[in-house]
Amino acid sequence: MKEVLISYNTIKETVAKLLNKEWNVITPSPDGIRYTAITSSDEINLAGDQRPTNISVKEFFFPKTDPVFYFKKNQSEVELIDAVLNDKKNLFLGIKPCDAAGIPVLDKIFNWDYKDEFFNSRVNNSVIIGLACSYSDPQCFCTSVNLSPDSTKGSDLFLIPVDNSGFRLQVITEKGSAFLKEFGALEETSGPAHPKNSTVPDKKFDYDKVKNWLDNNFQSDFWKGKGELCLGCAQCAFVCPVCHCFDIIDESCGYECGRRVKNWDACQFGLFTKHASGHNPRNDQSKRYRQRINHKFKYYDDKFGEILCTGCGRCSRDCVAGIDIGEILAEINTF
Amino acid sequence: MPGLVEISKEILNNKQAAYIIGYEIDKHNRVKPFVAHNADEAERLTFNHHALNNLAVYLKRLPKPKEGKIGIVAKGCDIRAIVGLIQENQVNRDDLYIIGVNCSGVATDYDVEFNPENTQIKCKYCQLKTPAVYDVLIGESEEFPLPEDKMGDMMAKIEAMTPEEKFTFWSEQFEKCVKCYACRQVCPLCYCEQCIAEKSVPQWVETSSSVKGNFAWNIIRAFHLAGRCVGCNECERACPADIPLSLLNKKMGMTAKQEFDYSHGMAIDQPTLVGNYNLKDNQDFIK
Repeated sequence: MKEVLISYNTIKETVAKLLNKEWNVITPSPDGIRYTAITSSDEINLAGDQRPTNISVKEFFFPKTDPVFYFKKNQSEVELIDAVLNDKKNLFLGIKPCDAAGIPVLDKIFNWDYKDEFFNSRVNNSVIIGLACSYSDPQCFCTSVNLSPDSTKGSDLFLIPVDNSGFRLQVITEKGSAFLKEFGALEETSGPAHPKNSTVPDKKFDYDKVKNWLDNNFQSDFWKGKGELCLGCAQCAFVCPVCHCFDIIDESCGYECGRRVKNWDACQFGLFTKHASGHNPRNDQSKRYRQRINHKFKYYDDKFGEILCTGCGRCSRDCVAGIDIGEILAEINTF
Repeated sequence: MPGLVEISKEILNNKQAAYIIGYEIDKHNRVKPFVAHNADEAERLTFNHHALNNLAVYLKRLPKPKEGKIGIVAKGCDIRAIVGLIQENQVNRDDLYIIGVNCSGVATDYDVEFNPENTQIKCKYCQLKTPAVYDVLIGESEEFPLPEDKMGDMMAKIEAMTPEEKFTFWSEQFEKCVKCYACRQVCPLCYCEQCIAEKSVPQWVETSSSVKGNFAWNIIRAFHLAGRCVGCNECERACPADIPLSLLNKKMGMTAKQEFDYSHGMAIDQPTLVGNYNLKDNQDFIK
């Protein structure tokens, strides 16, 4: 793997250059709520010790509301108008490893039986620069889902802070290499090996063991009452970097026109599985919770060979009822 | 809190309550909701400055016990929600065993130290440090220093805005909404069996996260809570996008107080604001 040394100032200058060329540059907002596009290179945020933003980077690749097409009534005919794909180039700078890792996981579902051109064009137009993470709290568990604070999965380039001198920049993909050639004024160096990360989250569970239990215990009593305190707000899914369920709905803009959109949906809503007849196969919160765990740690792996979780801990950190997914998996680990 | 575990065990042993909704501390020192079904589980019950949740929300969500009452640990703001639910005929007073807790303030989040800077602003407006309704009361209420009133400052700032400026302010706030409806789910007074946001024929509220849909949702919810919100601020705490929902609710509450001298959840036998008509009501809005 190619590694170069890069100073903070070089990054800043490169960002200024990109902003002049009308690129979107996206970094974590300092208020910690979400990733935002910046307008000046002074706003770049490369604080690896910042808590993961409330809302993950997912919304840039799979927005909460995503128009598929528009329709218009012309006398007796209905005209369909394609949604215009934005072809602006995006640089994602300082992305948490647990956010970047979500992109290839989402790629599996959005390129399964149907190729989602909206998702793909956004990914193709983006360069992801991950940043090694030095934040850890009791809700973090990237190390339990085969990731780590310096895993480069999903990143094209990866930054590791080195003392105060800047960063070691690792080139991960062809795209990252091409980006560097185009914009980087960098020379290869043989600097010191990067310091060991001192804030690696504890391993909470053994994934293979959990998966094995899930394979055989759909009907287990363990699930009974598991959702008792869950309020069904589904915030867990909305802040998750890899939850991807959506609803398709037609919306009118009056009598003559409208649009078809994909809107985020979530399995913790009672309405999610409610049939038109009124019957609901997942008729209580515990069944919905079982679905959430199984989809993440069994079904997705069975189907795509990926865990539908990056261990970012957002769902547990933000849960108003204090439900901690890491603890629930740790409990399963003991069976 | 002294006495909480002992009293809870006694209540459960005597079958005065089928279960008790309270708080426990998890292994990461986080205080979170917990239901004790028996005396052994009651050992885990606790209460402190980090008992943030308004547990009244569970009264309408947990299954009704076949026998016995629902026990609930309640601080002042939770009591207002419980009384509000009784006033609105959603919960029967006789079905509850209320363990009232004297409250000395709560922190803004579960992982911050309790100090004046990290005290919830709602505590400044609290009218019930000692619950007004209970079956048993525990703990002592202690004086505690109050935080700066950032909410009051913000309210004054918004009051001074022109309608266009207000619209811009709220457009920017609602732009952040991801339509997760967590505000609704944590709200003890949001108990509609079918929420208007879930009706699709016709679609009253756009499910899209667009300015129109976001405005429709947040304003409808504020209107539904006008004169009903008890100010527990759980919606704001739950919001992943940090929308200052308490400003809307507070404004509605202030109007109810000013125009009708009404605060919700203060007395069980008081008729509700929207369910009651009085000839002396202010009518100068009819032009």
